[in-house]
Amino acid sequence: MATPETTPVQPGTEAKWQGYVEPFVVGDPGRAAAGVVPLPDETAWDRKDTVLDAFALRDGRTRLVEVRAASVRGLAHRAYGRVRQDEYGFRRTADGRYLVICVADGVSSGELSHKAAMLVTRWGTKWLTGLLDRTEPADLQWGQFVRGVATQIEKYGRKLLRGREDIDAEKCDLRDVAHKLATTVLYAVVDLRAVDGAHTAHVVTVGDTSAWVLREGGRWEPQEAVKNDGAEVFSASVHALPLPPATDPVPVRTTIRAGEALVLMTDGIGDPLGQGTGPVGRFLADVWARPPASGVEFAAQIGFARKSFDDDRTVVAVWPVSQR
Amino acid sequence: MESEKAKILPFYVLIDVSASMSGRKLDEANQIMPQVVDALAQAPILADKVRFCVIDFGSDAQVRLPLCDVLDEHSSLPPLTIRGATSYAAAFRVLRSEIEINVKQLKADGYLVHRPAVFFISDGEPTDPEHEWRTAFGELTGFATYPNFVPCGVDQANPKVLASLIHPATGPKQMQMYLMEQGQNPADAIAAIAEILISSMLASGQSMAQGSSGMILPAKQDLPAGISAHSSDDFV
Repeated sequence: MATPETTPVQPGTEAKWQGYVEPFVVGDPGRAAAGVVPLPDETAWDRKDTVLDAFALRDGRTRLVEVRAASVRGLAHRAYGRVRQDEYGFRRTADGRYLVICVADGVSSGELSHKAAMLVTRWGTKWLTGLLDRTEPADLQWGQFVRGVATQIEKYGRKLLRGREDIDAEKCDLRDVAHKLATTVLYAVVDLRAVDGAHTAHVVTVGDTSAWVLREGGRWEPQEAVKNDGAEVFSASVHALPLPPATDPVPVRTTIRAGEALVLMTDGIGDPLGQGTGPVGRFLADVWARPPASGVEFAAQIGFARKSFDDDRTVVAVWPVSQR
Repeated sequence: MESEKAKILPFYVLIDVSASMSGRKLDEANQIMPQVVDALAQAPILADKVRFCVIDFGSDAQVRLPLCDVLDEHSSLPPLTIRGATSYAAAFRVLRSEIEINVKQLKADGYLVHRPAVFFISDGEPTDPEHEWRTAFGELTGFATYPNFVPCGVDQANPKVLASLIHPATGPKQMQMYLMEQGQNPADAIAAIAEILISSMLASGQSMAQGSSGMILPAKQDLPAGISAHSSDDFV
């Protein structure tokens, strides 16, 4: 083994530098924010704690939309040494017309659920983008698409489970596969061509991953029912693929214009957001009135500390750019 | 009203303070909550979600520590003191009333409340008429926010009576009963029950992080010495 020949050097004393990182906090941060010692998941060394993106989509030299995305491992998963089970994905159609986005939340109890989340966000987004080459978003057969994604998760799951002693990968029931890997999923198709300044978006959801429009003035508009409203005691059960939804998912159609944002999120951030009327709703409306400058900033905002909220958090947000 | 959905896991500890509990048994019972506090101080994820309530019961039942965050600097743990007979009925009625009030308040504050967990620790038989405490127990377990009820018996506690308090007694989420083994020191048994309570709390917290909302009890092989676990059909 070689030994270094140089002696240690001192940095210059006069160098100027600036900048600092300060965590976002909403109300009482709780003890976990400062007290958790993050541990790696030793069964999945390649899985990243946090991923993020920030970019603009253009038509020629015209900026159409700004996109920010981040997926952050929750404090509970850090504390117990488990992988981030959330994931996101996106892709633009070949003709440049549509942006396809996917946000997924792997079901916590499944040890391989992050693999299901990765599959629906990557493979699913690619497949959906392909369908849009020959189908208008309003004409998409969502039921068929979602069933196709479910089948793909099942196939992939059986492949991953091959050779294991605790389960017969080929013969076991679909429920047994879902027990090992399952994910909620939300797909959105955003029309990048605005009509009178408005971009149409179609959103389809299976499970408790949610879509919101942040309207001008900081008003949060949910694009479907808010979970656990009116339940007697809290239940952690969720709808998740590969188990097929009881009925075909119904797409929600909405429009967004400059000054507004389409915000797609997992329940790790949807739960503290609630109905958007509390302090978290205020905070996110303030910081997302415009697209944050960088992906790092966006991820830091998503990772805000608030007592007892310790789930994985994932958001993909789209801000239309004013053409005036 | 807040619109957020923070999750809360409420624990209720019911401790017998009838005359027979005096001495070392009471000393050990008084150590339960300080040990819970120590365990929570080491488990920040759980500490942010768990709330504890302590009720003691003798001739009557009293809330010694109203449901609270025990690491909060404003919460204090009053010592338990001995008070006469063993009224199970009083204990069940006060517990039901507390659960009802607490859950209602927590939900009004916008929390998602997990099903309450109860550790019921007694060293003797109920001194009130059977139909009275059975009726009170029926009312406790017969409403929408019924708790998961874990009876724990030491010394002269009647296994048959306690076994009939396990709730739910059957099904996928059935609870268990913990009993002091013959010939053990009852004070040590109370210390061991505190250990079971804490490991159950930690395991339930971890299972919440893995997406379950159920209460987890320790496996039989993980029980401290001198304590045995039983299900409702172990005593007929």
